[in-house]
Amino acid sequence: MIKETFIQETRPHESGVKHVSGYAHYTDDISEPEETLYGAIGWAKKSHAIIKKIDLKKVIKSEGVIAVVTSKDIPGRNDVGPVYDGDPIFPTKKVEYFGQPLFAVAAKSTELARKAVLKAKISYKTLKPIIEIKDALKKKSFVLKGQTIQKGDPVTKIRKAAHSLKGEFTTGSQEHFALEGQVAFSIPQEDNDFKVYSSTQHPSETQQIIAKMLNQKSNTITVVVRRIGGGFGGKETQSFIFAAICTLLAKKTQLPVKLRMDRDDDIIITGKRHDFYSRYEVGYDELGVIEGLKIKLASRCGISPDLSGAINSRALLHIDNAYYLPNVSVENYLCKTNTSSSTAFRGFGGNQGMMVIENIIDNIARSLKRDPSEIRRRNFYQKERKNITHYGMKIEDNIIHEIFDKLVKTSNYKSRKRNIKKFNLNNKYLKKGIAITPVKFGISFTTWHLNQAGALVHIYCNDGSVHVNTGAIEMGQGTYTKIAQLAANELGLPFNKIKVSATRTDKVPNTSASAASSTTDLNGAAALNAIHKIKQNLASYVKRKYKVMNGEPIYKNGLVKFKGKSFRFNSLIKEAYLNRVSLSSSGFYATPKIHFDKRAFLGRPFLYFCYGAAASEVLIDTLTGENKILRVDIIHDAGRAINPAIELGQIEGGFVQGAGWLTMEEVNWRSNGQLTTHSPSTYKIPAVNDMPEEFNVEIYKYGKNKENVVNKSKTTGEPPLMNAMSVFFAIKNAIASVRNYNIIPDLDAPATPEKILMSINQLRKKEL
Amino acid sequence: MTSNVIKFIHENKIVEINNPDPNETLLNYVRTKLKKTGTKEGCAEGGCGACTVVLGELKNNKINYSAINSCIIFLPTLQGKQLILVEDLISKNGSLHPVQDAMVNYHGSQCGFCTPGFVMSLFAMFKKHSKFKDDAIKDSIAGNLCRCTGYKPIIKAAKSLNSKDKIDHFTQNKQNTITLLKKIKDESIVIYKKDKRYFAPRYVQELKKILKKNINAHLLSGGTDLSLVVTKERKDINSVIYMNSINELNYIKNNNNYIEVGATTPLIEFESYIEKYYPDFTAILKRFGSVQIRNVATVAGNIATASPIGDTLPLLLSLDAKVVLRTIKKTKIIPLNNFFIDYRKTKLKKGEFIGSIRIPLFPKNIFKAYKISKRFDDDISSVCASFNLEVINKKIKNIRIAYGGMASIPKRAKYCEKILLHSSITEQIINKAKEALEKDFKPISDMRASRKYRMEVAKNLLHKCFLEITQKKLIRVNN
Repeated sequence: MIKETFIQETRPHESGVKHVSGYAHYTDDISEPEETLYGAIGWAKKSHAIIKKIDLKKVIKSEGVIAVVTSKDIPGRNDVGPVYDGDPIFPTKKVEYFGQPLFAVAAKSTELARKAVLKAKISYKTLKPIIEIKDALKKKSFVLKGQTIQKGDPVTKIRKAAHSLKGEFTTGSQEHFALEGQVAFSIPQEDNDFKVYSSTQHPSETQQIIAKMLNQKSNTITVVVRRIGGGFGGKETQSFIFAAICTLLAKKTQLPVKLRMDRDDDIIITGKRHDFYSRYEVGYDELGVIEGLKIKLASRCGISPDLSGAINSRALLHIDNAYYLPNVSVENYLCKTNTSSSTAFRGFGGNQGMMVIENIIDNIARSLKRDPSEIRRRNFYQKERKNITHYGMKIEDNIIHEIFDKLVKTSNYKSRKRNIKKFNLNNKYLKKGIAITPVKFGISFTTWHLNQAGALVHIYCNDGSVHVNTGAIEMGQGTYTKIAQLAANELGLPFNKIKVSATRTDKVPNTSASAASSTTDLNGAAALNAIHKIKQNLASYVKRKYKVMNGEPIYKNGLVKFKGKSFRFNSLIKEAYLNRVSLSSSGFYATPKIHFDKRAFLGRPFLYFCYGAAASEVLIDTLTGENKILRVDIIHDAGRAINPAIELGQIEGGFVQGAGWLTMEEVNWRSNGQLTTHSPSTYKIPAVNDMPEEFNVEIYKYGKNKENVVNKSKTTGEPPLMNAMSVFFAIKNAIASVRNYNIIPDLDAPATPEKILMSINQLRKKEL
Repeated sequence: MTSNVIKFIHENKIVEINNPDPNETLLNYVRTKLKKTGTKEGCAEGGCGACTVVLGELKNNKINYSAINSCIIFLPTLQGKQLILVEDLISKNGSLHPVQDAMVNYHGSQCGFCTPGFVMSLFAMFKKHSKFKDDAIKDSIAGNLCRCTGYKPIIKAAKSLNSKDKIDHFTQNKQNTITLLKKIKDESIVIYKKDKRYFAPRYVQELKKILKKNINAHLLSGGTDLSLVVTKERKDINSVIYMNSINELNYIKNNNNYIEVGATTPLIEFESYIEKYYPDFTAILKRFGSVQIRNVATVAGNIATASPIGDTLPLLLSLDAKVVLRTIKKTKIIPLNNFFIDYRKTKLKKGEFIGSIRIPLFPKNIFKAYKISKRFDDDISSVCASFNLEVINKKIKNIRIAYGGMASIPKRAKYCEKILLHSSITEQIINKAKEALEKDFKPISDMRASRKYRMEVAKNLLHKCFLEITQKKLIRVNN
């Protein structure tokens, strides 16, 4: 049961002081036993080839090398695939992507290990790779069978509609580029047990994968994560192979081994965001209201399923964004390509699906020569009718009108739009554009059973200090801070009496990944559940001993007030201990209400929706395609924010990351499958001057989660990223001005200077 | 006096390292030997700023603080300097430095991994500037990547420093630090370690002697390119001569005909000097690389590296710069235009070194430079273009145009220049000149841009240059 005692308390990150002074320890900072060895991975230089021979003679002889491991050293499962097989630790017969690990070494230093792996001689028989989505579609190369979903009769509706449009659209891949790269540190224990420090979003699955690899029981592997230096989905499954190889080296040498990846190797080996290609046909009325929509949606999944099934499913579930689609069908294709296995990335397919519909709506507005914001609004889900999604879920918490309308006003969208038109008339080469886009994002894992969490809470008898453990991974989103705030509030204690400590598989078992924006919702609730159980123990003791009346005690300001009897918290705890009352409890939470029939594609996959809207203004140079974000206004729904400073940080940071995805971040493969963008010199994430010149961000003031989520808050993990869609459509708007808004520009994401210039060139050539 | 012991100041003490490995990076030393793990490795190529530390150097009896990337600095180059790490910012009584305090209070950290680097960049700014305006703040942290915050809270934290007391424990301890720095300053370093050799001469005469005996040695200046051989190619550099200890070569002179920049003058000093004469040069240099890079990198280094995408090169070519090459006995002056032979190949011969660069002054000319890249800050150009011309009565009297990113070397656009020289600025002529660029260049496609885009933008930048000249205003998104 979750009580309505709300907090809204701005306070710095629980590790803030340690972050700024260098004392926050990440995996590579943990003090090492003297005998520690250091690993490096040797990987394939072909994207598709039969392995003829792996000659490691020179590697073994290389200075400082202690051990080498190959597939032959794996006693158990040679795969790190989370749901399906397909991600071998070391492939035995066939290389499937450029960068696929083939062997690893442990040496006396990281430098020596990295030098050694370069000395391998590997001979291949080269096969033809499939790299591009279109090539995979043509060759019917898929990792999983895609779903086709249908609601109503889109074909007839499109045919009968007053207007229709057809088109293609692509969004690009994205490298996570967490500042802390992939790293693991594995220490052998007695009984062949291993203690594994891993920079991962998913300790429980790390534990299981290592256990299966070694053919050992899960209870022999303990995974510990205090914090990670950024995840963004890139350490949900992509961390497994490093923890596995590291432990394999530790097993072989019976010594502690650290495996810290060089940035280039990290980017080359690991999967990235799925790029999506879509073809659509839409029918709509005079007012731009969508009547029928048909979409073919294909994604580049890389060599294996990994999480591609769930990611594509989330894309299908967000193909509506905030819009009511009465008749819609989507055919989904999960393309198998000879590239690293595409994986989770903030938004998890949702944002890719949303871009498809936003592009369609934008084009509808342009075809009717109407303001896109007007057409967007007209297609919004309504409150009383037009409120059932294409997967049959009734939307009960719709606040998109409120947020959108408010933003139209506070951003002065209309008058700025007029000024921009004037500017564009007076400027031949520099053009401005503006766009406002909505966000509706569903919260819950779409895989039903993952929506559970555990916690462990201890209260110590001598001083009443509180120790909290959950399955949550602190990766910058502030979940430890927020969970500690929730616990402190629940116990009426100051923040500094709560300690949330490292997440460990031996404290809280069977955890879900810190993902799907659900970490605090789930783990915070589990922690509160544990606290409630301890409070019940205390209450029954007090009622028994002091014969106080029934009724809820109040925990506030370090006091515990029962009806007619009041205690200082510390005294009550000490007294309870002396009277043999348990002051420790586990906690559990399972998200209520959700259910989803994946086959029929019907149900309620989400507990609630997050909403937001953003207005962006950009400037482009029609001679070079260079662009700049001039101003951004965002209103975003965080429910009753637990810690507004943390939520604001998520909203701003998510936006900038999304803007990177849609503008400058470009993942590039050669036609032979070799990745060419694998370092900060070749792959550009936004830097300080890419932040909007004017950046107004507001948490929606009237936010309150309708559902029983901790503090009535809403998560701000993934949804703010999609506010960046406004940047892309502002650029498109600026491009359209080149032909006086009379022709629809073709623009794919990311809108790099080159893509912008090519779009302008194309537009200039088009007939009216 | 020569020594194989490296001496530097850390935590108010002189630290000595006996005969260190010349290929060890400062970051590696800090993390694995000093066991200070606050400084992080994010990329090992000077591209993310997570490893930023601050070096203090004595200059005119003052301490000059510079942020640098410790991941691409070789340990022996620490000789004679003060090393400041993120842990060192905390006072003895345990209180945070104003920069650290601001970062906490303005929520400048999320995952916290990039944070020590930001703190150090802001600390260097705190010591260097008296006021912290937007430009200075952004310039200071443009080489620090953060994937979490979107930078806004970090900028707020930096701005809040304007109201803070500027005196910190480094100020309070200044005299002591200066005394210590003076004690360790005057030594040339010679290291022989297995088959590796390292020399850090302090005078040109010394350099010449070393060069004579070590004709195959690599000349190391800022090392922002050379160090990647160790960190990325995982190779050893066996013989290194570090140039930047030679103060004689650290200068900027001006004789009213040309500016002469000594080989070891860091870009950060050059960029503020050149602004008065060629403001676009400074604008490009700010985007050439981060402050951490510009604090150590040099014009001479950029020339010797001879990368087709070295951003100073097209600018210097269009300004008709000359390279002053010195050997053990002779000095010769070569026009930069004749210096580049092929991809990363130059006329610099073994036993020679670049002494300085001469940049002519053209008081009557218009000088413009443009850099096109996916990201504004600290990115490599897909195309860089530079124009230097004199226009009298709408006629072009002299003109030099050079491009980077368009060929295997940075190169003048000779055919294009020919069409424009002595012509009037008309649409027709400009169109002809644009066409001529196709004769001048055959660019390639890579991850930064396609061949087609490069050529089109090269043409459009020429067009833009003349638009800006005739319209007498700048037409740029970043202005």
